[in-house]
Amino acid sequence: MVVNRKIAYINLSTGKITQKIVPKTLRTLYLGGRGINMYLLYNHLSPKIDPLSQNNILFVGAGLLGGIPCLGSGRCDIAAKSPLTGAVGDSNIGGFFAPELRFAGFDHLAITGKAEEPVYLLVRNGQVHIREATHLWRKDTFETQTIIREDEDDEDIKSLVIGAAGENLVRFANVRTGRKNSAGRTGLGCVMGSKNLKAIAARGTNPLEFSHPDDLLEYCRQMNDMITSTRWAKAQSRWGTMIIYSNTNTAGLIRTRNFQLNQLEKGQDLEPENIDRYSIGTSGCYGCAVHCRHRYILKSGSFAPLYGEGPEYTSLGAFGTMVDCRKMETILVANHLVNKYGLDTLETGGLIAWAMELYEKGIIDNNMTDGLKLEWGNEEVLYELIRKIAYREGFGDKLANGFREAIDKIGKGSEYYAIQIKGMSNLHSDERPTPSFALGIATSTRGADHLRSRPAIDMYGLPADLLKEIYGGPVAADYNSYDGKSRMVWWQELLYAVTDSLGICKFQTVFCAVHAPQWKEFSRLIQLATDFKFSKDQLMQIGERIYTTERLFNLREGFSRKDDDLPKRYFKEPTPIGLPVARNKVIDREKFSEMLDEYYKLHGWDSMGVPTTKTLKKLALTKKPTNLL
Amino acid sequence: MLAIDPEKCTGCRLCETACSIHHEKTCSPERARIRVTKWENEGIYIPMVCQQCDIPICETVCPMQALRRDTKTGALIIDYKLCVGCKLCMQFCPFGGIGVNEETSKIIKCDLCSGDPVCVKFCKPEALQYLQVIALNLKKRKAAAEKFSKYLKQMLTAL
Amino acid sequence: MSEVRCLNCLKRFLVPLKTEVMACPYCKTKYRISWPTPNQAKVRGLA
Repeated sequence: MVVNRKIAYINLSTGKITQKIVPKTLRTLYLGGRGINMYLLYNHLSPKIDPLSQNNILFVGAGLLGGIPCLGSGRCDIAAKSPLTGAVGDSNIGGFFAPELRFAGFDHLAITGKAEEPVYLLVRNGQVHIREATHLWRKDTFETQTIIREDEDDEDIKSLVIGAAGENLVRFANVRTGRKNSAGRTGLGCVMGSKNLKAIAARGTNPLEFSHPDDLLEYCRQMNDMITSTRWAKAQSRWGTMIIYSNTNTAGLIRTRNFQLNQLEKGQDLEPENIDRYSIGTSGCYGCAVHCRHRYILKSGSFAPLYGEGPEYTSLGAFGTMVDCRKMETILVANHLVNKYGLDTLETGGLIAWAMELYEKGIIDNNMTDGLKLEWGNEEVLYELIRKIAYREGFGDKLANGFREAIDKIGKGSEYYAIQIKGMSNLHSDERPTPSFALGIATSTRGADHLRSRPAIDMYGLPADLLKEIYGGPVAADYNSYDGKSRMVWWQELLYAVTDSLGICKFQTVFCAVHAPQWKEFSRLIQLATDFKFSKDQLMQIGERIYTTERLFNLREGFSRKDDDLPKRYFKEPTPIGLPVARNKVIDREKFSEMLDEYYKLHGWDSMGVPTTKTLKKLALTKKPTNLL
Repeated sequence: MLAIDPEKCTGCRLCETACSIHHEKTCSPERARIRVTKWENEGIYIPMVCQQCDIPICETVCPMQALRRDTKTGALIIDYKLCVGCKLCMQFCPFGGIGVNEETSKIIKCDLCSGDPVCVKFCKPEALQYLQVIALNLKKRKAAAEKFSKYLKQMLTAL
Repeated sequence: MSEVRCLNCLKRFLVPLKTEVMACPYCKTKYRISWPTPNQAKVRGLA
């Protein structure tokens, strides 16, 4: 299965397309998906390039286990140098694209250069074609996919596409597939737009072979049973990722009015249960037994009728709590709009919430906002601002390059109110009561981001013994504590690096459920599918290699320990409301710094966050970056 | 029989994947006996598979009499020793329940996995169920009656 | 009965089937309860 998988190099400037086999040695070092993408990113990109130049390379990678019948194995990893942060650009997308790419004969694509006119790529049964796409330009992300299917007369084509935001080089434009799936973060849609690349379409009929098909099938069945038997998966199957809101908002762990409050009072309409009013059923990505998104229909209102999918917990915060909109319908409309335009939901909501706080504080006024009254809870302003960002109109244009440039343009102390790290907006979670989460967003290689580590297991009141067993060292059971939390973050970072490289879904590993598949199960799945034999320790070392490669990339781009920090408000402003467990909490500067030291040590990096020679040797990263492939 | 409830289908295609691995030893939806037909922009997903008809057109049109019924499961099975691959069965089936493995040119169709269908084992939302015909009828009757009983209760409380 | 975890004291307590409001017997925080499956309860919000 593994040895005959291919990578295609596509130069959009010259039209040259080269195909190569992905070497087995690279598999043993980086598996596939995110792992191989990070290897390619570090080795093929020249340092300090302009992310919007021809020299940036967009990498698309299917996971090593892509296509197996369990654990949502259709994940695709997309990477480039981020035009939003200048650091690692990397985002993971579900849906059905990655398996189709594999059926078309490829595991990886590396796209460089810039097309003179808009184009799309068609990857079909061993061949890559560059197609003219002028007629697709200005089409939204839904229309684009439909037209490609009509053009090629093939309903089974799956496409990664960009919308208005990507075309207009909004720095946090995303890449989308299907009605709902998005590689949301770090602005990879902007990279596609900069290359005049409207879409990447895939279609194939090549079978995927496995080393032990019968045993693999039986083990996959067990994996589906394992994940669907967890309480988390059962609740998620019913109401989607929005169920997290029940816990976080009830306790007081959710950013409200940007960062002024940590709980949305009178937020009952945003409770996940209310999606039932609009839902016609749930929907699953490829190979997923959990099916965490809703298919919803809005029958009334100015945007009706509309059919949408989702929304995720993320959108509940981006267009709900953070901007103080308290209606489920607002979330459904805004979710639809960002999907249509191809904007990252989280970055968009984060910027708008920040702008609303600046407006309230009088730092910006109607002159700057084109007369828009950026008042909390004003959904019409929210919808209009989403559109203005996507089309770079007026005030939207000021936000469209992300936090860093917006702070520069606005000035007047606006930086203090920005909840961003390395230039990227944070999720709507409030990490002041949870030091583990706080460390995770500070150290994430792609900027403020909860999905590099999401260390949530200590929130379930589990005994310290069990935590020790999972994490291989002491971790305090109390989630307010700082003790052992660096270990949690480190361990989860390695686990997710491997998960993303196998192409399976993070929700179906130790994410919110303890008794979910992890190292041992991954090891067995890999062996049955490919005959590669990796022990738990070996897989952890691969995770470490991937994470350290990302670190090396960021160091080369000029990031350092000073960038692994939290916004100042985390240290200064205590959480004002919520249950006692979440109220009156700030992050302690000194303890945070100690956690960071411990965290670097666990990775084998020095006190400045630079991997030591010993670590580089252990991870076979001592050579200068070379184009191995 | 293999009962399909499209309202419960989430479109994940685990049935296709599992089916192809079980029968063909590779992951290839093209070679799966069951396929999920989708209207992605409307959110409608319908699994399509051989209905094992009581009056099977495939069997009628087969010039080689290569289709026979498994007395235990009721599935229509292809006898590959007789099949000449003319594809008449495929052309006449009103459900698209018969396919071809493009590589081997072999006709493929659902054989109910000798009475233990793999697709059902992978379908967590229970959009696919393997039931006795009578049991399915009872289930459908009960579901319809439940809706009816709700209206009745509403009417009674309104009085 | 289904087990639910208190979001304040993190202790687990049992909720009788179909119950919609219940206080944590340990810290007395009062919750609205919902049921993703007929046998599995979860906290919906504060009561």
